[in-house]
Amino acid sequence: MSINQQELFQRLADAVVNMEETLAAELSREAVASGMDAYQAIEQGLVAGMSRAGDLFEQEEYFIPELLMCSDAMYAGLEILKPHLKTDALADRPKIVIGVVEGDTHDIGKNLVKIMLESSGFELIDLGRDIPPAAFVDKAAEINAQIIALSTLMTTTMDGMGEVIKILKERGLREKVKVMIGGGPISQQFADRIGADGYSANAAGAVRLAKKLVGLEA
Amino acid sequence: MPLDKFTPIQRFAAYACDKPFDRLPCVPIIGNTAARVIGVKVSQLRTDAALLAKAQIDSYRKFGYDVVRVFTDLYVIGEAMGAKIRIPDDETAYLETPVLHDIADIHKLRPANPHRDGILPLQLEAMRRVVGEIGAEVPVTGALTCPFTNASFLIGAEPLARLLLKNPEAVHKLCRISLESAIAYADAIIETGCTPSLTDAMSSSTVISPRQFREFSLPYLKELINHINSYGKKVTLHICGKTRPIWSDMADTGAVCLSLDNDADLSEAKQSIGQRVRLMGNVPPAAVMLQGTLEEVRQAVFAVARKAWDNPKGLIVASGCSLPTETPFANITAMMDAVRELSWPIRKELLS
Repeated sequence: MSINQQELFQRLADAVVNMEETLAAELSREAVASGMDAYQAIEQGLVAGMSRAGDLFEQEEYFIPELLMCSDAMYAGLEILKPHLKTDALADRPKIVIGVVEGDTHDIGKNLVKIMLESSGFELIDLGRDIPPAAFVDKAAEINAQIIALSTLMTTTMDGMGEVIKILKERGLREKVKVMIGGGPISQQFADRIGADGYSANAAGAVRLAKKLVGLEA
Repeated sequence: MPLDKFTPIQRFAAYACDKPFDRLPCVPIIGNTAARVIGVKVSQLRTDAALLAKAQIDSYRKFGYDVVRVFTDLYVIGEAMGAKIRIPDDETAYLETPVLHDIADIHKLRPANPHRDGILPLQLEAMRRVVGEIGAEVPVTGALTCPFTNASFLIGAEPLARLLLKNPEAVHKLCRISLESAIAYADAIIETGCTPSLTDAMSSSTVISPRQFREFSLPYLKELINHINSYGKKVTLHICGKTRPIWSDMADTGAVCLSLDNDADLSEAKQSIGQRVRLMGNVPPAAVMLQGTLEEVRQAVFAVARKAWDNPKGLIVASGCSLPTETPFANITAMMDAVRELSWPIRKELLS
């Protein structure tokens, strides 16, 4: 890799960390124009930057507003680089169906988890908010997802999470699909009770958990 | 037959001046569980002041807790300002779409008129009825959503989060107009004989940084609480999730009592701000109150007492946040019974 290229990827990563959406787009165009590999620019530039942003979030240097702005910069770059991916480099990523359980429309936490998972090698299918339990299972079966990720910020809607696991069992899919849960009122204790495969308190933890669940990391 | 020797008002009075009383104050924060108490659909409480009042009155009488709060959901001011609220038949209402799609339309916002807009008049009517019926024995409060959280219902939570960095001035405008609404509603709540009970979910350090809290939320909280204090009314402030980095700021707001989520360690809170404010908390609403056994509830109450029974400004044993609607009655009773068992002066042998 040439020095120039390395430098550009570094600046791309910095643009993401520094929440500079316009700059991230410009640098992405520059990468395309000078014939750099789009996949590398995504991985070593945008994704590396988002991963640093995630670390800052975990260290409580960044909060939700900063992380959202970083992701805006990442997506601005992705939009430009994605059409230039040589082969379908993103095709074989493990699939995760994500959404907020029925009765809850607080999707800010879910969106953060989605951003972090998307920038960590997963393909995310976002069902949105206020999703009935069966819809998660339907979608996971349809696209052959490895994980269902559920979130809620409301204590009033947690029962829907147990319901998803129940439906998976009824349809004989429980062994095929892992279930990870998160959100303000959720605890490890709750995850254990409903028989979820994992719980994470935050977006960075969700990435580690998802990797573990699909066997990408020990 | 009454459940306790003291009424809540007598209990608070004795606690405040160190006279003998029967047990620590205890507040399982009842939300729409009150609908279950009188066997109606959650949505009915939003359409019928008499039912909303009856639900709260009957719930208080059933369990005998120490603060009654007239509450349906956090969105009533936002709704009164034009936010669209989805009202499921038998679950808590939630925000469907914020008032504004585009911050450029900010000039279209008007403060809520509590006597006319949305279901604010219904809430006020329910408050009046509850105060009339049980106000002589128990403090009755009316739920009031704080300016920063309400601002998120005006433009949406994520757009608001981005505006903090992109257009701080717009955020201040959203908070300012939310404050105007909150003050008008607070005045009306106080007129009914209730005290506003403040909730500010979005101000949590789980969402925004302590610096952002100080710039965008704290000034409006202070103004709101000062205003309420000017009536001689004392305020409880609840912020969900993580709050440790802003405890001292929360104490600076003028609130006399801070209601902390189960994320908080009450012994730390006691060390940090216990000289300045009463603490309220923090039995986990979901893991323990919704799903725990009776014994787990009992132990969780003891754990709270162990950490903060000797808080200089006092303790209210409470759930960390509003209880899930389907919290079993038996667990709510177990919570009250645990506090009764602890008694006062506190039976320290139960805490070891």
